[in-house]
Amino acid sequence: MLNSLALRLFYRELKQGQLLLIVFAIALAVLAVTGLARVSERLQVAINGEAAKFSAADRIIDSPAPLAPELLAKTDSLGLKRTDSLVFNSMAWSNEAFQLVTVRAVGDGYPLKGEIELADGPTKALPAQGTVWFEGRLTALLGSSNEIEIGEAKFALAKEIRRLPDGGFNPFASSPVVLMNMADVAATKVVGPGSRVTYLYQFAGSREALKALDTLMKAELTSSQRLRDVKSGDSPIAGAVERAERFLLLSSLLGIALACAAIGIAAQRYCQRHYDVVAMFKTFGASASEIRRIFALHLSLVTAVGVVLGLAGGLMLDAVIATFLPQELASYGAPLLRPVLLGVLTGSVSALMFSAYPLLRLLAIPPLRVLQRELTGSGVGVWLHALLSLTAMALLGFAYSRSLALTATVVLGALLLGLILFALGFVMIRLGHGAGLKTTNPLQLALAGLRRRAAQNALQLVGFATAMVLLLTIFALRQDLLEDWQRQLPEGAPNYFLVNIAPEDEAPLTQFLADNQIQSTDIYPVIRGRLSAINGEALITNRQAEEGAQGRVGIGRELNMTWRDSLPANNQLLAGEFDGAVDGVSVEAEVAERLGLKLGDKLTFVIDNLSLDVRVTSLREVRWETLQPNFFMIFSKEALSPFAYTSMLSFHLADERRQQVVELIKRFPTVSVLDVGAMVSQLRNIVAQVSLALGVVLALVMVASALVLWAQTEAGMSVRQRELAVLRTFGAGGRLLRLATTLEFAVLGAVAGLVAAVVTEAILFMLKTWVFELNVNWHPHWWFLAPVLGAVLVALLGYWRCRELLSRSCLSLLRAQE
Amino acid sequence: MEVKPGQSVAIIGPSGSGKSTLLGLLAALDTPSSGEIWLDGSPLSGLDEEAKAALRKKKVSFVFQSFMLVDTLTALENVMLPAELAGIKDAKARALNMLERVGLSHRLHHLPKQLSGGEQQRVAIARAFICEPSVLFADEPTGNLDGGNAHRVADMLFALNKELGTTLVLVTHDNQLALRCERQFTMTEGELSETTSSAAAKDAVVEAAADEREVQALQEAAC
Repeated sequence: MLNSLALRLFYRELKQGQLLLIVFAIALAVLAVTGLARVSERLQVAINGEAAKFSAADRIIDSPAPLAPELLAKTDSLGLKRTDSLVFNSMAWSNEAFQLVTVRAVGDGYPLKGEIELADGPTKALPAQGTVWFEGRLTALLGSSNEIEIGEAKFALAKEIRRLPDGGFNPFASSPVVLMNMADVAATKVVGPGSRVTYLYQFAGSREALKALDTLMKAELTSSQRLRDVKSGDSPIAGAVERAERFLLLSSLLGIALACAAIGIAAQRYCQRHYDVVAMFKTFGASASEIRRIFALHLSLVTAVGVVLGLAGGLMLDAVIATFLPQELASYGAPLLRPVLLGVLTGSVSALMFSAYPLLRLLAIPPLRVLQRELTGSGVGVWLHALLSLTAMALLGFAYSRSLALTATVVLGALLLGLILFALGFVMIRLGHGAGLKTTNPLQLALAGLRRRAAQNALQLVGFATAMVLLLTIFALRQDLLEDWQRQLPEGAPNYFLVNIAPEDEAPLTQFLADNQIQSTDIYPVIRGRLSAINGEALITNRQAEEGAQGRVGIGRELNMTWRDSLPANNQLLAGEFDGAVDGVSVEAEVAERLGLKLGDKLTFVIDNLSLDVRVTSLREVRWETLQPNFFMIFSKEALSPFAYTSMLSFHLADERRQQVVELIKRFPTVSVLDVGAMVSQLRNIVAQVSLALGVVLALVMVASALVLWAQTEAGMSVRQRELAVLRTFGAGGRLLRLATTLEFAVLGAVAGLVAAVVTEAILFMLKTWVFELNVNWHPHWWFLAPVLGAVLVALLGYWRCRELLSRSCLSLLRAQE
Repeated sequence: MEVKPGQSVAIIGPSGSGKSTLLGLLAALDTPSSGEIWLDGSPLSGLDEEAKAALRKKKVSFVFQSFMLVDTLTALENVMLPAELAGIKDAKARALNMLERVGLSHRLHHLPKQLSGGEQQRVAIARAFICEPSVLFADEPTGNLDGGNAHRVADMLFALNKELGTTLVLVTHDNQLALRCERQFTMTEGELSETTSSAAAKDAVVEAAADEREVQALQEAAC
């Protein structure tokens, strides 16, 4: 009987559009979560997939020794594709010339992702046994030969390599690469016990299998072995992918927060609408438990409809976006279960937690309300509402992002917003005491209205301000991120790097570039050296440490060092002075942290078997993701000038001028040319995909904001309706009332805008410092623009609703309940 | 103040004199700070909200000045409401019957906003009587209606009251309406005094005694 009553009430209210707002709010929350989760997973899979082509695999393990066969057997049982390769340095001989080369011996299946680019086009094949593929400059260094010897084996130089998919961006690679078939390694007799070889194991496969691999390897790998995915390392692509992912997460989180606010407002309205119904039920003798049952079922039905609509909408959104994605991206399958589960969770948790407080108040409505209409329930404090709402937000936020920093930012932002608005509301209510009804001019009427309705207006501000905060946050972050990427990849970013420039080639090369009107960056000298001691304490390698040696662990490889008079453009001084002191060195901050360096420490380097003592004079932050020459150590010219060096520079050249590079290679055969054009365009692709996603997110957040604004205006008008009707009945002109109402809303909008500007700056500060590692910049223009925008937007909404109301007859307004 | 079963009683007085407060107390909607109220033989004091609700469900019904219909439910559904809350099985048949008796069988599926004020109050009356309550409390039942409609609604109220033997407690400031009740009380600044003319009062007592027997017979048959 009670169930059928609840069902009937639900059916009628749904049909009459009374539940539109709350159903829509729940649906929007679910849509935002499902849609965004699905879209961002799809993009993540796509972006990672694209990026994987640059590491030729999804995961790479590098190890100084072969992995144990048992461990490899375990990885094979995970259903992953695997290919093994070896990397070692060796001398290559040809006639009487010799050159140090980096040999990459690859087995079947290489590359798992992407393709090898040869001078005559991309290929999936591998060098046949007895032949090697080589980097172009090798022939320049060795003279025109068709054959080389590596170790004890002879190889035909078969094909010229342009780029290996996992060639990465390493402008310092000094020796040319030679690609060899794995089956030929034994014949060279170069690899034996104790020789310096890196074993590379590359894997590709499904996400589940990769996850299993991560778990397995975490337990098994020693400190000299490394597991890398496309995001690890200092690759520029990794940085872009990671930020894009975090941004998508954050925007979805904010979308959830906004949808939650919409649900909160809608739930409040929903409950207020039912005050009389509950009073009536109680009057006719319904017990508290019966009313609870009726409304529990009623609200569950509302939630269910909202969730189903939201899921459908979210999947539709995803389908629409999929049609915009390029074919190769759309073809990446992303799992469906998580987005759907998240959507259902969001819908039900937010509907439950955000309506709990209004519902408790609803259930507490005394039956006497049927006689005394102004009565509302008492009892539960508003703190409970705040607690439940914040808990819901934190819970959902964490379930979605699995990031404490992001969740904390969103919750703290909400808390700050709440506190400011609470204080503001308190002040407004204080001012409102004794405010009368002044009907002489619209402005006075508006101000009087604002003060009289202080309590309700304070509530309205919550909705208006929340919507604006989130809109501003998303907007600003999107802008900042895009600009940041733009800075990283400006139009005309270098796409060619010239390295290993011999000192005697410097002048002719500069001349060549000038003659061909090629604008290059500064020329950087490069010197390789090893850090051997800190403050006189000799350093040991990782391997020695593993074998039980005591001592401070250094960097197990040679470092690229340079000299400069001024701080490079992409570097930021964190401590000390970049003063060019003869015995000074400027150290990159991360490496300084790893080695535990501080200003004033004495470092000993070994360069060309000579030692050089310097002290740390400054620490620098380096943006590794920029495609620029970056250095761990920068010295003064005087300190490094005794040592032999080569130089490097970079420039941008449009594709149609490619021929000039070919000429350059011919003129300067010993200079290595690194073509990073493919990587740059890849990065641009990623940025474009992310921009698309950001656009979608922005649009969704705007819809959610509009919903919140609309819901708040509706609530605001219902408070004003009766008064409007009374004033109208006593002959107040429509123009006066419209103007007064519009002004009142405009003031509310302006205040909300100002509060939003303040809170947004705080949120952005937290986000940029904790999550995105972006530079914090303030937005002074907002402090003016946001109030204006808020005033105009809210006033327009208010005006529109007011006009609609005033077009009805006074009688219908007076009769309408509430 | 004591009201016998089946009696009709009017409480009159100016606005703000406390009529509605008294009604709320009598109907077990509110709790008195002092004093005692007995409803159908049992004291209200000491009853908690749940017990009062149960009491209202069994014995009491209401008609309000502002009709208080659920605006999203149809006329029929509004009338069924108390019967459904009381768990009566043939709620729909009863509601149809009641609506026919108030002359609204052609307006069953209309929403309150599609009905005139008089029609809405007739729906409210049908709703009030569907559970055949022992006592009906009416708060200014004709207060929102024009003369003709007010008269028709009052007629219906008294007719059903008589037919079902319900005790009627009616708050009004309409003297005409008050005079149709057997007894009249006047409320002035919170003070209640009986103003029934002695002849009328005598009639009322006799009639009440007769009604009491009638009511008992009816109650055995009903609910």
